[in-house]
Amino acid sequence: MDISFSEQDLQFQEEIRAGLNGAEYPAHVKEKQEKGINFSKEDVIDFHKFLSSKGWMGYNWPVEYGGTGWSPVQIYLFLNELALAQCPTILPFGVGMVGPVIYTFGTQEQKDRFLPDILNFDTWWCQGYSEPGSGSDLASLKTKAVLEGDHYIVNGSKTWTTLAQNADWIFCLVRTETTQKKQEGISFLLIDMNTPGIEVKPIITIDGDHEVNSVFFTDVKVPADQLIGEEGKGWTYAKFLLAHERFGIAGVPVVKVQIERLKNLTAEYNDADLNKKIAELEIDLEALEFTELRTLAAIAEGGHPGAESSILKIRGTEIQQRLTELYVEAAGQYILPYEGPDGFESNRTPSGPEYASPSVAQYLNYRKTSIYGGSNEIQKNIIAKAILGV
Amino acid sequence: MNLNYSDEQNMLREQVLKFCETNYDFIDREKILESDSGFSKDNWQQFAELGWLAVPFKEENGGFNFGPIELTVLFEEFGKALVVEPYLSSVVMSGTIIENSNHKNKSSIIEKIISGEHQMSVAYAEPNIGYKFFDCHASTSVNNDILSLNGTKSLVLNAGNANQFIVLAKHEGLSALIMVDAEVDGLSIQSFKTIDGQTCGELTFENVLIETDSIIASGDDAEALFNKMMDLSILCISAEAVGAMNASYIKTVQYTKEREQFSQPISNFQVLQHRMVDMFIETELTKSLLIKATLQLDSNDPDAQSTISALKVQVGKAGRLIGQNAVQLHGGMGVSNEMSIGHYLKRFTAIDSMFGNTQYHINKYQTD
Repeated sequence: MDISFSEQDLQFQEEIRAGLNGAEYPAHVKEKQEKGINFSKEDVIDFHKFLSSKGWMGYNWPVEYGGTGWSPVQIYLFLNELALAQCPTILPFGVGMVGPVIYTFGTQEQKDRFLPDILNFDTWWCQGYSEPGSGSDLASLKTKAVLEGDHYIVNGSKTWTTLAQNADWIFCLVRTETTQKKQEGISFLLIDMNTPGIEVKPIITIDGDHEVNSVFFTDVKVPADQLIGEEGKGWTYAKFLLAHERFGIAGVPVVKVQIERLKNLTAEYNDADLNKKIAELEIDLEALEFTELRTLAAIAEGGHPGAESSILKIRGTEIQQRLTELYVEAAGQYILPYEGPDGFESNRTPSGPEYASPSVAQYLNYRKTSIYGGSNEIQKNIIAKAILGV
Repeated sequence: MNLNYSDEQNMLREQVLKFCETNYDFIDREKILESDSGFSKDNWQQFAELGWLAVPFKEENGGFNFGPIELTVLFEEFGKALVVEPYLSSVVMSGTIIENSNHKNKSSIIEKIISGEHQMSVAYAEPNIGYKFFDCHASTSVNNDILSLNGTKSLVLNAGNANQFIVLAKHEGLSALIMVDAEVDGLSIQSFKTIDGQTCGELTFENVLIETDSIIASGDDAEALFNKMMDLSILCISAEAVGAMNASYIKTVQYTKEREQFSQPISNFQVLQHRMVDMFIETELTKSLLIKATLQLDSNDPDAQSTISALKVQVGKAGRLIGQNAVQLHGGMGVSNEMSIGHYLKRFTAIDSMFGNTQYHINKYQTD
C-alpha cells in the first residue's frame, strides 16, 4: 500500500496551481474568491472562459472530443486545487452532464454542433429532469413530446431547474410514449431555451435567493434532430449520466477551507463547546476524505465503484450541512437581521460579525444538499439494494 | 497511489479467516471463556506454529519484520470472530516495549514470546489517574542500597497468565518501565473477568525487590517508548473493531432476512434497511481512517498522532452506533447472552474505554 501521489501527478498539481495564480486568471474573480464574496453571472462566465482558454474545460472528457484525457487522479487533483483556491464551482450541466451523453450516444452531427460550444462555454446548459409530480420517482414524469412531421411538440413542466434564468439550452427527459413499464417511454431531448412557448418562472428558496426555477412548455416545437439516441431509450441515457463518475461530490476541499475560516473567525471567543464540535467535524471530514481516496484508487485501477459513491453523497452533504450549522451557532443572535439579495432593508449594515448574515443564508440554502441529486434517503435505498442485498 | 493489500498480506488474512472459521465459532469461544485461563492454550500454540506470534518482531530477533499493516490485517480477522487470546497484551504491547528497550536479554525473551511459551503484559493503569498514565503513584524507593517497588496497578490484561510484567512506575522522580517477574515476592495478583469475556488483574507491589537492570527504559525514553506502544495498540484494537463492525452489520443483514414478522422478512422494512445502511457506512468510514492511520504510522508521518486520535474517536462513535443497532435489529435475541451479536456490543464498549475513550481523544485531537 502506498498513499502518496506520483511525482508526475504532483507536478501536474503544481501546473494547475500555477495556472490559477497566473496572469490570465480573471482578477475580479480572484479578488472575490479571496474575500469570500458571492460571484455574479459575469464572474461565473469569465471563470469558465478562463478554463476554456487553458484547455481545461473538458477536464473529464477524452481527448478525441476535445477533452484533456486526464487520468482519474489528475481529475481529482484538478478539482481539489480549484476548490482549495475557492474558485467558482464548474457548472456541471454542460461539461459534466449533457456533454458526455452527447459524445457517447449522439450523432456525429450532434457532436459537431454542441460539443465545441460546451468546451468554449458559449452555451449555458440547464437540466430538465424533475417535475412537480416526479421527484424521487423520476420515471413517473409526464412532460409529453409528440412527433409531428420533423418536430416534436412538447407540453408540460419541469421544476427545480437550477439557473434556468441564465441558460441557453436545456436537456430534458420527456415522455414520448405511455408504456406499461414507465421507464420505457422516456426520451432525451435537447431544447433551445429561446424556442417560443417556453416560460421560466423563478422559485425563491428559503434563503431568499433565486437559484432554481419552474420551466413551462406550451406547444414547444423542437426539431426532431435534437433527440439524443433512440426514442424511448432516454432512461438509459439518464442512468448513464447519473452513474458517470462524479468526482468531488463529497465537497471535501471546500469544507476544509471553510473549517479553517471558521476557526479564524471564532479564535477570539475560544468557545470550548464550539471548538469540540469543530474538531468532531474535522474528524468526520478526514474519514470522508480518505474514503474518497479509496474510491479514487479503485477507479484509477479501472474499477467502477457504483453504490459506494452513495456514501460520499450522503456523508458529504451531512458534513456540509453541519458546517453551516456551526457558522450559525458561532454567529449567535446576530443572524437575525435579514440580508436579502439586494442587501439590508435600511441599506445600512447592522451590528454583529460580517459573516453572520451570509452564514444563516448558507445554512438555509444548504438544506437542499440532502434533497438534490437523489435525496439521501434514495441513496440509502441504493446501498440497501446494491450492497446489502435487502 | 495504491491501496491494495499485497499478496502476502492477503494470504495472512486468508489464513486467519480460515483458522477462525474452523476453530472459533461462537460455541468454541464460549468454551474458551469458561476455561480457567480464559483463553485456549491450544490456540496459542497454533498461533505460534503458524508464525503469527512472530509477525511484528524484527528478523534479528526471530520475527517476520512485518509492520502495522500486517498487524491490522490480523486484528481485523480476530475482531470478526471476537478472538480472546492475549495477542494484544503479550505480542503487541509487551513485544513493542521489549524490542525497543535496552534490556540485556531481549532476544531470548522475544524468542520465548514467539515460541508461545512465555506471556507478558504491561501494567500501566492506576486508580484515580484516568488516562494520565504518567501521573502514576507506583514508584521505586531505595533503602540500605536496596531498590524496591511499591504501589498498585489496575486493569492489567491477562495478568493471571503472564509470566512477566512491564510496570510503568516512577523511578527517581521520572517515568520508568520496569520488568517484574510474576512469581516475585511481594507481588500479589487479583484476577477479574472483563465485561467482554477477557481477563485482567490488579497488581499490588509491596517492597518488591528490583534489580537495576530490570529498569529497561527511563525518563523521556520510557515515555516515548510507552507512547509508541500506545499508538500501535490503538491501531490494533481499532482494526479489531473494524472487523467486529463488519461482522455486526453482515450478521444483522442476515438475521433480518431470516426473521419474519407480519408475514414477511423484516429486512423488507425501509426503516430497518436505512439503519443497516448507516451501519455499513460507519464501517467503511472507520476502515478509511484505519488505513490512513496505518500507512502514516508505517511511514513515521508526523500527522500520525492526530490521525490515531481521529481513528479512536471514530471507532468509539461507530462502535456504539453499530453495536447498539445490531442489538436493536435482533430484537429480544439481541439482548440474549447466548447470541453472539450482543458480545460485539460488549467488545465495542471495552475497546472504547481503552487507551483513552472518545471524549479523551476528541480533546487530544484538538491539541495535536
